[in-house]
Amino acid sequence: MVQVPLPPKNAKRLNTVCQFCIVGCGYNVYRWPEGKDGGPAPSDNALGVDYRAQLDAFDDWIAPSMHSVVTDKDGSRHNIVIKPDNDCVVNKGLASVRGGGLAQTLYSPDRATRDRLQAPMLKGPRGHKAISWDEATDLGSRVIKAVIDHWGPDAVGMKFFDHGGGGGGFENNWAVGRFFFTGVGTRAASIHNRPAYNSEVHASGDAGVATLNNSYVDAQLADTIVVIGANPYETQTNYFLNHMALNLQGDTLDLKKSTFGDEPFESGRMIIIDPRRTMTVATAESAAGKDNVLHLQIEPGTDIAAINAISRIILDKRWYDVSFVNRSTERQTFEAYQRSSLDTDQSLDNMVRQSAELCGIPEADLYKAAQWIAKPKKGGLRRRALLHYEKGLIWGLKNYEGVASVINLALLSGNIGRPGTGASRLGGHQEGYIRPPYPGGRPALNVDEAVRRGEVKCFWVGGCNPVLTTMNAETMEQTMIERGRPVQEAIDETKDRPMGERVARIVEALKAGGMFLMTQDIYMTATAKQAHLVLPAAQWGESELTSINGERRLRLYDRFMDPPGEAIPDWEIMARYARRIRTLYLEDENPLMANRFLDFDWRKPEDVFIHARYEFKGNSSDPAEGYSGVTYDFLRERGTNGIQTPTRIVNGIISGTPRIHSDGKFSTSSGRARFIPASLPWPSYAGQVAEQRKKHRFWINNGRTNHIWQTFYHHQRVPFYNDHNPVPYIEMHAGDAQEMGVASGDLVEIFNDVGTVRALAYITDAVKPGHTFMLFGHPRGSVGDLISDHVDPKTTIPYYKGAWADIRRIGPKPDFAKDLSFLPQNVSE
Amino acid sequence: MIKTAKLNRRDFLEIGSAGVATIIAGNVLLPTSAQGATQGKDEAYPMVDVGPLSGLQVGAAVEFSYPDENSPAVMIHLGETAKGGIGPDNAIVAYSTLCTHKGCPVEYHPERKMLICPCHWSTFDVAKAGGVVIGQASQPLPQIKLRLKNGQIQAYGVDGLIYGRHTNIL
Repeated sequence: MVQVPLPPKNAKRLNTVCQFCIVGCGYNVYRWPEGKDGGPAPSDNALGVDYRAQLDAFDDWIAPSMHSVVTDKDGSRHNIVIKPDNDCVVNKGLASVRGGGLAQTLYSPDRATRDRLQAPMLKGPRGHKAISWDEATDLGSRVIKAVIDHWGPDAVGMKFFDHGGGGGGFENNWAVGRFFFTGVGTRAASIHNRPAYNSEVHASGDAGVATLNNSYVDAQLADTIVVIGANPYETQTNYFLNHMALNLQGDTLDLKKSTFGDEPFESGRMIIIDPRRTMTVATAESAAGKDNVLHLQIEPGTDIAAINAISRIILDKRWYDVSFVNRSTERQTFEAYQRSSLDTDQSLDNMVRQSAELCGIPEADLYKAAQWIAKPKKGGLRRRALLHYEKGLIWGLKNYEGVASVINLALLSGNIGRPGTGASRLGGHQEGYIRPPYPGGRPALNVDEAVRRGEVKCFWVGGCNPVLTTMNAETMEQTMIERGRPVQEAIDETKDRPMGERVARIVEALKAGGMFLMTQDIYMTATAKQAHLVLPAAQWGESELTSINGERRLRLYDRFMDPPGEAIPDWEIMARYARRIRTLYLEDENPLMANRFLDFDWRKPEDVFIHARYEFKGNSSDPAEGYSGVTYDFLRERGTNGIQTPTRIVNGIISGTPRIHSDGKFSTSSGRARFIPASLPWPSYAGQVAEQRKKHRFWINNGRTNHIWQTFYHHQRVPFYNDHNPVPYIEMHAGDAQEMGVASGDLVEIFNDVGTVRALAYITDAVKPGHTFMLFGHPRGSVGDLISDHVDPKTTIPYYKGAWADIRRIGPKPDFAKDLSFLPQNVSE
Repeated sequence: MIKTAKLNRRDFLEIGSAGVATIIAGNVLLPTSAQGATQGKDEAYPMVDVGPLSGLQVGAAVEFSYPDENSPAVMIHLGETAKGGIGPDNAIVAYSTLCTHKGCPVEYHPERKMLICPCHWSTFDVAKAGGVVIGQASQPLPQIKLRLKNGQIQAYGVDGLIYGRHTNIL
């Protein structure tokens, strides 16, 4: 019989925040030696709970998924329980399906996570072989120095994490930035999920609007929550359950009363702009009632048209916030916006009709959405709408214009800076970004192309897996193989030769078109397999780190176990290389270059945290993530509730910022926000995407789902998650499937002019005819193999959601799929 | 060992060694072993009569308690083969009705063949050993083991840990 061990009274209790999504739920960690369990009587366990009787709903149950046994470096074994924190205002004791299994992702020799990278490795003729840190550092440093000396800093390319949570955080991001920007000085940098070093929300920045400007409590206060290209029930779960759904259910009316007094209010409504009928639509309807949820089930890439039409209605109906627009926006941008994005030369009726046709939705829904967002309430009081957008829009048809359309709508309707409002991305990863400035310009250099063209001679990939996730992913892998080959020959030929000779031979190979590939990660990813040098990184829980969530809540994530083998935190890897390169330049009598790699003598994570803090001044010049005055001790005091950045120091007291722009000021030279005009209300499909769309029948939409975090890197090693989606699937409409003779579970092939991928068919009413949906980045079949290398020329952000392909049936449901569930994943009652 | 959602360990081994690798792509992992919880003492579960097989209609949902009166459960005649089922077409199964997310009572929706939690909307597949279809529960609904004896359906064990307990027999 299954049994979960209970933490004893003297179990060590630490705090952490989930390693996964932007919401950043608070968790308590209990750690105690194996064999020293507590008892079920309240006096015998660390939670003080009476486990002798059946617990009530919402009590402190420890699910089996919340426990595991870990082994420290000295061989000692410890129980770990990672349980949602009842006192964290973000999640109030709720776990998502991902957070509920955090304990399962820890390194353990007993489980599949045993295959963590444990030592630096060099690729040889028979695969990767462990080498010492000293050798790995020396080799990599000499190659990097040689590349800088021969070809200049831009020949050192990098693709690295830039986020918070697991595998990121302020410490690791700062160290990476210091190394590549202050040290190497390269422009050939790119961020984990994209080909360049760029913001995903340039348009918001250009408007002067902070990316994450609201507080989560605003979702409890809003009259209307607008969700664009996002699926929060599944992928920002406890923001949805513990904030949005409470509002939709009417459970926050008391809070509204105490906040708004006599202002009229009701239970919240929700508008969802998404081509799929997701579980978010279903659960929102269950919470609010169907009449209070408006789902705009649009055609691909037409979100911009829908949003601009809604804005146009608000403008023409005079529902816009005249006083906000006059007071807080730049007049000339408002005028340009009306003429261009809102097409005011055309009649309202025409503009809305055309948009509705493009979107494939009724005109009346656009009018209703405008009403819900901006029609003044009784007494002429402003409606409070909270606008959220994410990858559906960000990785949509045109990144810049998509984000601009939302920000413009928020400015027009005055839905920013007030309680119950905001215009923020919903977020994917957590944040926790501070780096010295990127030396390149805008649009940033497309590093994927620089790798293909041979300009990048040394490519360092950290905490990401482009072979799986970048666009045209197969070409990336092919390039790594082909350009890696001559370097591999050089490495193999110089085995046992002195390091200087080895590196000289590698440089010959680089001159002949080769590329030296370095990877640092926690597992042997598809990208790491191609790397010459593989470096083992520590993960979440193995080193202290700090990050912020989607409402800029800064917390300290405690260390509660050793990293496996010789793995070390990313910041320490960067510091090792910087110190070695500095020594090499000093030996070379090049103090100028040596000094670029100064100040990497950090001893502990907090040293890095404080080093990065010098970027902040504690006043209004700080960015939204500024954490002036904050120390680890300060954060430790505040547990899982932390403090919301930016922090200000007033009379020596550190205070947080729940909501940005509440003073009506924006981050532009004038202090007024700018509308960002587009040339047309809808940009239409661009070159190669338009071509692909003509050639192929199905739209291959793709994204994240409830159970699987990102590329499945942990979850494929935990049976519960792996078994949920052991192989890729593709959602298809029943009519399309029937016509092709495809049943749920059948094996199909999806193919286009970029590549092919196989998946199990999953017939559902979530998608419209002609639409499909696949998981992003499944390790056993990546949708990246179908995505063209088209990017928004203004931002170098790909149209990841924009692939078109054909589908053919390969065969019936394979044996291994017989126990998979094909019941609908979008019903809640 | 804890039951995994929809594939047992043996199935997974088979996938790992052949199926997925050749049919979909490379990069298949070696089999994983059980999740964290440890094996407790193999206490004897009680034998409880749930009801007679005769007269049990397709679509029926019979509420009962198991392994004690504080642990609500439901027996369902699904009308089609279900994993771990007994009786005609192996269509009769039973589950704990305490959601494995936060312990709210799940409700049976016969037209959907699902058990659905009204608190946070986790949904469970009645035919697939109570596996999570979607939602925030991080383990399947515990399945109550059933057997037939002299026309009586008897509960005799539980697969998986029941919500709100550190061990199923308190």
